[in-house]
Amino acid sequence: MKCALVGNQNSGKSLLFNDLTGLNQKVGNWAGVTIERKEGIIKGTDIEIVDLPGIYSLSPYTSEEEVSRKFIIEEKPDLIINIIDSTSIERSLYLTTQLLELGIDVVIVLNMEDILKKRGYKLDIKQLENYLHTSCYSISALKNTGIKELVNAIKNKEYKENSNLNIFNSDIEEYIKRVDLCLPSEIKERRFSAIKLLENDIRYNSLKEQLKKSIDIDNEIKVIEKNNNDDTEELIASQRYKFIESIRDSVITKSKKKSISEKIDKVILNKYASIPIFILIMIIIFTLSVGIIGGLTVNLVDTFFNGCDGSIHIEMFGIEIGTIPSTFKGIGPMLGEVISNNNGSDWAVSLIADGIIGGVGAVVNFIPQLVILFLLLSLLETSGYMSRITFLFDNFFRKIGLSGKSLIPFIVGIGCSVPAIMSSRTVEDDKEKKMTITLTPFIPCNAKLPIIACICGGFFGQYSLLVTILMYFFAIAVIILVGWFMNKFIIKNKSTSYLIELPEYHIPSARYVFKDTFEKTLEFLKRAGTIILLASIVVWFLGSFTYDFHYVDGTNHFIEQSFLAYIGRGLSWIFYPMVGIGHNYNDIWGISVSAIQGLVAKEQVISSMQVIAKVADEGNIFTSSAFSYLNPVTAFAIMTFNLFSAPCFGTIGAMKKELGSYKEMFKAIGIETGFAWVIASLIGIVGGILGLLGVF
Amino acid sequence: MDKIERKKKKEARKEEYNYVHKIGDICPLSHLKINQVGKVINFNFENKALRRRLLDMGITKGVEIEIVKISPLHDPFNIRLRGYELCIRKDELENIECEVIK
Repeated sequence: MKCALVGNQNSGKSLLFNDLTGLNQKVGNWAGVTIERKEGIIKGTDIEIVDLPGIYSLSPYTSEEEVSRKFIIEEKPDLIINIIDSTSIERSLYLTTQLLELGIDVVIVLNMEDILKKRGYKLDIKQLENYLHTSCYSISALKNTGIKELVNAIKNKEYKENSNLNIFNSDIEEYIKRVDLCLPSEIKERRFSAIKLLENDIRYNSLKEQLKKSIDIDNEIKVIEKNNNDDTEELIASQRYKFIESIRDSVITKSKKKSISEKIDKVILNKYASIPIFILIMIIIFTLSVGIIGGLTVNLVDTFFNGCDGSIHIEMFGIEIGTIPSTFKGIGPMLGEVISNNNGSDWAVSLIADGIIGGVGAVVNFIPQLVILFLLLSLLETSGYMSRITFLFDNFFRKIGLSGKSLIPFIVGIGCSVPAIMSSRTVEDDKEKKMTITLTPFIPCNAKLPIIACICGGFFGQYSLLVTILMYFFAIAVIILVGWFMNKFIIKNKSTSYLIELPEYHIPSARYVFKDTFEKTLEFLKRAGTIILLASIVVWFLGSFTYDFHYVDGTNHFIEQSFLAYIGRGLSWIFYPMVGIGHNYNDIWGISVSAIQGLVAKEQVISSMQVIAKVADEGNIFTSSAFSYLNPVTAFAIMTFNLFSAPCFGTIGAMKKELGSYKEMFKAIGIETGFAWVIASLIGIVGGILGLLGVF
Repeated sequence: MDKIERKKKKEARKEEYNYVHKIGDICPLSHLKINQVGKVINFNFENKALRRRLLDMGITKGVEIEIVKISPLHDPFNIRLRGYELCIRKDELENIECEVIK
């Protein structure tokens, strides 16, 4: 037996799925968390259950709703479990009236009846069963109550069979019957198809043609519309609601009370306090994750993988606050030693230590702070605050062609663009979603922080912290600029809409917050183990072998003879405007090489520059002759390019997945890199001219 | 000339913004203030998918809609209808004609 779990967004569907199957799955308090259908087996039975994305109707509006509609109609489950949020029963029953037309048995699960009671309402379940001719069960998905009764009823088939409830006025019912009689016999969802035909649903156009011989649907529609003075789509929708209105008052009795959420919103969405509260929350999240936890752990984890130079530097926001003496060699060098002790060749040592451990370690460094970030964001999401943020900022974001919902990816992007781009799925409108995905990598993520910290620390001295903070505002300015540009010239975005429900505030369930954090972290780690590992090895290979396949050992063959150096020379024209006049490709290949290595993980830009500087004359980035052209202006220009150009491979992979095609992915990366180049070049040229004029 | 015209327009908008409709008035839903209730008389959406979506969400002729909250940036609105609340942009409400009943 196969069941489908269907319900509105935010109805507690994913929670019920977890209660029924014991499997964990993503649960969020902002609309549209279940994106693809998930499957499981109901505990203690052999009944299959499929969790479908939340929908409001069987006329799909977003791609998620399309998934649900397709599954129900094409795969015909034996039973539909329709979960209803008791606190918005009137709207929820609209979907129920459509589900009942499919000819499949439906059981109704009333969730959150306890909350309804708390608000002073009373729900008469027996009455509801009588009106709908189906079985209804009251549960609380959050508190896990009433589930056993529900499972037993499904297992023992105690529920009522579908009785094809007639809910429209006699005129329309007659037309439905007439169309039904003409339908070919292989169609099982007869009443549903007949109604869809009368609604003139474009998905039923081919069926309409097929029926032309026996019934002229277009003509029938015309007659109905003339008789009722309204189009059929609206007639059918409003009669569904009329039916619901007619049963509503005998099902629900009310006595109004003000909910706690309304009181909280008086403060959180207050005219004056709302934006300061938002900024404060963001500062707290950023300080806790990137600042404190990130600062304390990044170099510790790095030492674990790559060893250190005698002491571990503990930094906060790029400023050193202490050191821990340590002689730990690191996993990579230790494995390398094992290989060379067994007479392994130098390149094998380097492949393990630099290519594999170094590459993956560079990403794993960020795990502790990402865990904290995911945890805090999960709290925001499940408590109901995230939806309020979108309500708050929608007006602002719409001006650059985005939706309030775009803010969620931007916030997550402070930590890592990969989960940020994944969270863009909740943006309904396709164009807004594309723009959101293209713009998200502009937010400086955790991995870009070392670039900012190193360049600012090296070139801006006492102003380094100020410049670091300014970079985030700079990023916001770039997002607004590029968003405006895309909206005006590339994606002409006219009619979009924003429809969202503000969920009730509630205390997040610890169980789900932890599991959600765990899953997001795991997904991130999986990427580190696949795409990032592969890309690291490729870039390692290019950097470690000369054009005639000699290993770059630093004594006979040098990095400037490597494949990567030649690719770097070939691409160095990109950087000409940034470094000023008087440099050729032989001087500046190091910058393009480090930018390419930044594609593996952005913080590699700095470590790559460090390697090149060391090879050239045992110096560092700020003293080496390999980077003699770096001064505050050129360094700032090059940093800008690295921050805003194509993101790392992990992010590119996520972009491909969410945009759906390579074409869209390359377009997005092209826009990002193009703007990065123009802005960085302008900084280089204008800065250079000002420098010549003696402004600084 | 242009400046004067723009100023006039701005004033007109301000006036419209401050004007509180009385019971029985007929106006777009976007003109209502917080806690006012309007009964939908007619609506006009060019985008068919959006129209269908709003019908599905319960915005049909005769339904009563209350303005519950307005975002601090003046848009979107949070409205109450059919016992639940929905956030919706001003642009959409502009196209919904209502009779003020509260």
